Amino acid sequence: MNESGLVNRAWRVFATGFSFTCFGLGAVLMGFTLWPVLRLSSTDPRVASARVQRAVSASMRVFVWLMKSLGLLTYEVRGREKLAARGQFVVANHPTLIDVVFLVSLMPEVDCIVKQALWRNVFLRWPVYWAGYISNATGEGLVAACASALAAGRSLMVFPEGTRTRPGEPLAFQRGAAQIALAAGCDLRPVTITCEPITLHKGNAWYRVPARRPHWVISVGDPIPGTDFLKTGEPPPLAARHLTQALVRWFDVSITQQLGKMRTETRPGG
Amino acid sequence: MQSTEEIFEQLRGVLNELFEIDPSRVTLEAHLYNDLEIDSIDTIDLILRLKELTGRKIQPDQFRHVRTVGDAVNAIHALIQNKPAAA
Repeated sequence: MNESGLVNRAWRVFATGFSFTCFGLGAVLMGFTLWPVLRLSSTDPRVASARVQRAVSASMRVFVWLMKSLGLLTYEVRGREKLAARGQFVVANHPTLIDVVFLVSLMPEVDCIVKQALWRNVFLRWPVYWAGYISNATGEGLVAACASALAAGRSLMVFPEGTRTRPGEPLAFQRGAAQIALAAGCDLRPVTITCEPITLHKGNAWYRVPARRPHWVISVGDPIPGTDFLKTGEPPPLAARHLTQALVRWFDVSITQQLGKMRTETRPGG
Repeated sequence: MQSTEEIFEQLRGVLNELFEIDPSRVTLEAHLYNDLEIDSIDTIDLILRLKELTGRKIQPDQFRHVRTVGDAVNAIHALIQNKPAAA
């Protein structure tokens, strides 16, 4: 197969570096031009950050298009229409570096919880700051802030793992996502992300491209009713634990099925 | 007056009731966050429950330096011993 040849691989290393350079330069460029202008375009911070979020989403669509056009990846989105409604609480697993790029590209207006380290990243701090994303460093105030954002009809996106999945280790979720759903009294919208062969995962440098071009499947699931876990009358901390366990089981099954399907579909000769 | 031993046993009960933590994991040396996975949100519920049990006002500040179960026992002990019942 030509696609897995040495030349192709070298091309993908180069093109990946090129794409990420574009991403970084684009983020800095936009971070000093369009995004601040949009942010200052309204005195209402919600209107202003929604405008920036739409612009960031458009930038992500350009970036996905760039990576696809350069032959770095293929992808498919299943159930995209389910992301159209506002005020959704999206939770996704986090296998690769660019999961958030896909998700933000699919959701024009969404608040994201961003881990503290990225606020210090010289490239990522700009979209994160201007789009009004939420830092995970605020501790107990974070859950309340997220719940009120959802109550106000904004959409929110969280990776409950808190960082990328460690391949080969059992899926582990922090409890924040469950705590937010319980505090907001809302459903969770699960999104299962898989990549085959795996690339850009935790502990893997960007230039270590896989033998053949990776394919992403992003599938939007049906709502998980989080508040069911409060109906049993358990104290909230216990309900948050049980909901988190239920989420891990849901994602375990969903990821395994999705990866299994991808592997049979891409079997050599198939 | 409760001894630290009694407070420790009571805390074990509370941790099991609120967080389903197996009492055998609750030792004085156990770290609340690292070993027992009690996060900042849990701490709020824990303090509320301790308020009910002790009948004392508890300021989150009094638990700021609590890291281990032993620290928590000492903090509760000090609270019961030194502070008059909350008005």
